[in-house]
Amino acid sequence: MEKSIENIWKEGFLKNDALVVPKINNLYDQKSIHIIDKFKRMFKINLIAIVFFAFAMLVVTTFNGLPIIGISWFLILIALVVINKKLTNSLKKMDYHKNSYEYLMSFNKWLQEQLAINRKMARLYYPLFFLSIVVGFWFVDAEGINLGERLIGEVLYGFPDIYLVNGVPLIGIALVLIIAGLLVLFGGRIYNLDVKIVYGRIFKKIEELITDLEELRN
Amino acid sequence: MSSDFYKTSILPFAGIIIKLCRAYTNSQEDFEDYYQEVCLQIWRSKENFKEESQWSTWVYRISLNVCLTLLKKKKNNVQHFVSDAVMDEETENNYAFSDEPLNLLYDAIRKLSEIDRAIIMLYLEEKSQKEIAEIIGTNGNNIGVRVKRIKTRLKKILDGKIN
Repeated sequence: MEKSIENIWKEGFLKNDALVVPKINNLYDQKSIHIIDKFKRMFKINLIAIVFFAFAMLVVTTFNGLPIIGISWFLILIALVVINKKLTNSLKKMDYHKNSYEYLMSFNKWLQEQLAINRKMARLYYPLFFLSIVVGFWFVDAEGINLGERLIGEVLYGFPDIYLVNGVPLIGIALVLIIAGLLVLFGGRIYNLDVKIVYGRIFKKIEELITDLEELRN
Repeated sequence: MSSDFYKTSILPFAGIIIKLCRAYTNSQEDFEDYYQEVCLQIWRSKENFKEESQWSTWVYRISLNVCLTLLKKKKNNVQHFVSDAVMDEETENNYAFSDEPLNLLYDAIRKLSEIDRAIIMLYLEEKSQKEIAEIIGTNGNNIGVRVKRIKTRLKKILDGKIN
């Protein structure tokens, strides 16, 4: 007589080998290595994307009469890539054969140092990006003269008594300096936001793993 | 994960976890990964358990969710040149029970859709229609009909293989 599937199920699992519980092992080691590898891959892709963007900016701005912006952004971005590439060298030396907690903690230490350096740099490069845009547009050709000079002419036409410093309206200089100052002040926070968008999920996972491992150690 | 929690809250349900993980994997390695991930997720989600349902229902639901998520991830990652034949061979060589009819039944179950696999296993574990519906998160009305349909399909696949 043909067995019913219910019987096959019941009888099959009566045998000793059918329900051997696997050992829980190495899970955290695998997870730590996996998550850090994922970060490394993302970081590498990010750096490559910045290099592509730097070249694209250089080409596009040059062909559109804004070479100052292109060259400045190119130099800043390439400097950023070089510094970050150097920072990853110490990451390569990290020993993943250590236990997962130590490996994660040393990675986290590297990450925090790297983020701190980048935060400091952000307070410099965000204002530089902004200033390069201002200078770039200032010198762009507007029907035979610089756009900046043309703008000053138009402002002076409307407000002939405006206060000038070296031929530039003080209010314009002040505005540019205030924005640059704000970027110095908030550059770190803008960087944090930028990093959170790209790496937020992975950082959260790392935090969760560290918390899990700390709970396990206690 | 504390060993106390594992012993008291997971191990009593290891049977069904093993059975579920087996239905969604093709190798011992994958099976162990799925099992470990299920245990880890049960542990991590223990604070979300609100006692509106039984702990066992919660465990089954987490197990199923983890298996389906891992399966989806694996499908996305799998290299398409790996043929089914290779997978079947792997299953036969490294991942078999000593009970041949059970192996054939599992092979047949693996041919079902992901949700049908869950339904039939919960049915075989003698869960009520209400419990099955609660675990898989559907309306309980058509579970009986669906079980009948799945059993017919399984019988067709197994036809002549088991005497």
